[in-house]
Amino acid sequence: MLFILTLVFLMLTVSFSRRNWMEPRPLKAITPVDPALVKPTTFRTSYVQLIRMQADLSDFDCYGCHETKKPPTLRFDSSNNLVIPKEHSDIVMAHGQHGRNNNCFNCHDEQNLLLLQTRDGRQLKLENCPPLCGSCHGPTYRDWEAGAHGRTGGYWEKKAGEMTRQICVDCHNPHSPRIPSLAPLPPPHPLHGADRAAAAGQD
Amino acid sequence: MTPEKSDTNPAAGPNTGMTRRSFLRGSAVIASGLAALAASLSPLRELDDAPSAEQFLQKYYKELTPAEMARVLKRIEDEVERQYGLRPHVRDLKPLDGVEFVYALNLTRCIGCRRCVYACVAENNQSGTPEVQYIRVLRLPDGSLDLEKAEHFYHPESVPEKGYFYMPVQCQQCKKPPCVKVCPVHATWQETDGITVIDYDWCIGCRYCEAACPYWARRFNFAKPSVPKDRLNLNMAYLGNRPRRRGVMEKCHFCIQRTRVGRYPACVEVCPVGARKFGNVLDPASEVAYILRTKRVFIQLKEELGTSPRFFYYFDV
Repeated sequence: MLFILTLVFLMLTVSFSRRNWMEPRPLKAITPVDPALVKPTTFRTSYVQLIRMQADLSDFDCYGCHETKKPPTLRFDSSNNLVIPKEHSDIVMAHGQHGRNNNCFNCHDEQNLLLLQTRDGRQLKLENCPPLCGSCHGPTYRDWEAGAHGRTGGYWEKKAGEMTRQICVDCHNPHSPRIPSLAPLPPPHPLHGADRAAAAGQD
Repeated sequence: MTPEKSDTNPAAGPNTGMTRRSFLRGSAVIASGLAALAASLSPLRELDDAPSAEQFLQKYYKELTPAEMARVLKRIEDEVERQYGLRPHVRDLKPLDGVEFVYALNLTRCIGCRRCVYACVAENNQSGTPEVQYIRVLRLPDGSLDLEKAEHFYHPESVPEKGYFYMPVQCQQCKKPPCVKVCPVHATWQETDGITVIDYDWCIGCRYCEAACPYWARRFNFAKPSVPKDRLNLNMAYLGNRPRRRGVMEKCHFCIQRTRVGRYPACVEVCPVGARKFGNVLDPASEVAYILRTKRVFIQLKEELGTSPRFFYYFDV
């Protein structure tokens, strides 16, 4: 009887020292996400941001090519779509539904291409576009002014520091304003239920 | 020999029942039993995340005097430096006067890109393996708010997907938090600015709060958290993002280390579509006050439970 007990204890000793029972299952290392993807950068680099970065602004020097006091003429094809000249081939016109907003001079000033014009005859600098955008997108402009539309960063407490706001064109391309779709970052890796996660990842 | 005499003389072998053989047998059992016990306890030698005596004897957060708090913060800084080789800046930030934080999330705008999830992981020193994330983004089919139909493992090529909308869920910072009610040691409580905090040094890891939370917002450190050295955020707060131990709960705390010094939380700053809004609801000029006044703020999640979250979901138009 005591002999059996001794044998059991010895077997337990061997088993414990070989870590048969308590060795935790090693976890599969999860690759961390690239920190560059979680930087608070906007969808695009706008003219305003280029000014702030003191970058090359030669692309915005309209009169490097255009002649002053000679408004450019617009050409339309048979179905009344704007023909974009090859010098501006980087522009994709997709602003407004049903091609109704297909006139450059709805926003740009034909008399001075460096400026924007509103329908009520005001002239605005490129870096001050929100009143122009707001002349059509009223509710959005109202929300933006209140801080409810668009990105915010920096400080919520005015005494502590400055709040960073973005203007319309920092996120929206004025020629095709819809926000582009994004690749989502990886789904969660649960300790349990990994099969379901894999199944959902496939579809 | 009289019986009395034998009692006073235990060495008289035959009468005690102890023979040489039984003594050896008994010793063998006891020796092998002790060996088994020692072997079973041997992993304790490798225990490297055991609380230090100083931490073990630390007083309750609310009873710490400023001088004791300074010592505690120094201890934490020392411990982090020992573990990561980097000296953090740990502060004990108190709630600001006249501030009640409220979060508003625009369901019309959210595209489900999960940038907020990983910005939060980076800001709050959450474990990479095993993974701990405070924010869970749910994908729901259009036209329904049935959480039974929610999917959080979605992984398409690009988002948003047609026919779905996305609802990120994190700690709702309830006005009547069920998690606080169930904590047997008062290691979690609600502060005056509305943030429900956890004292990681007081938590016993019973996970009652995890079970009580109807939003599944609380996370448990089942294993030792691992944060890569180069990703450690050195701006830390006692009740916020300082490194946690194995066996304690953690959850979203509205980035206490940022918001209590006036900054926006990391998830607000990173949201590429501006769906996340945060601010002081007691300030009528703040964006959250404007949203609650003018927008179709339609739910507090699981409103019927009476938890009264400070996290509001709303729609544009």
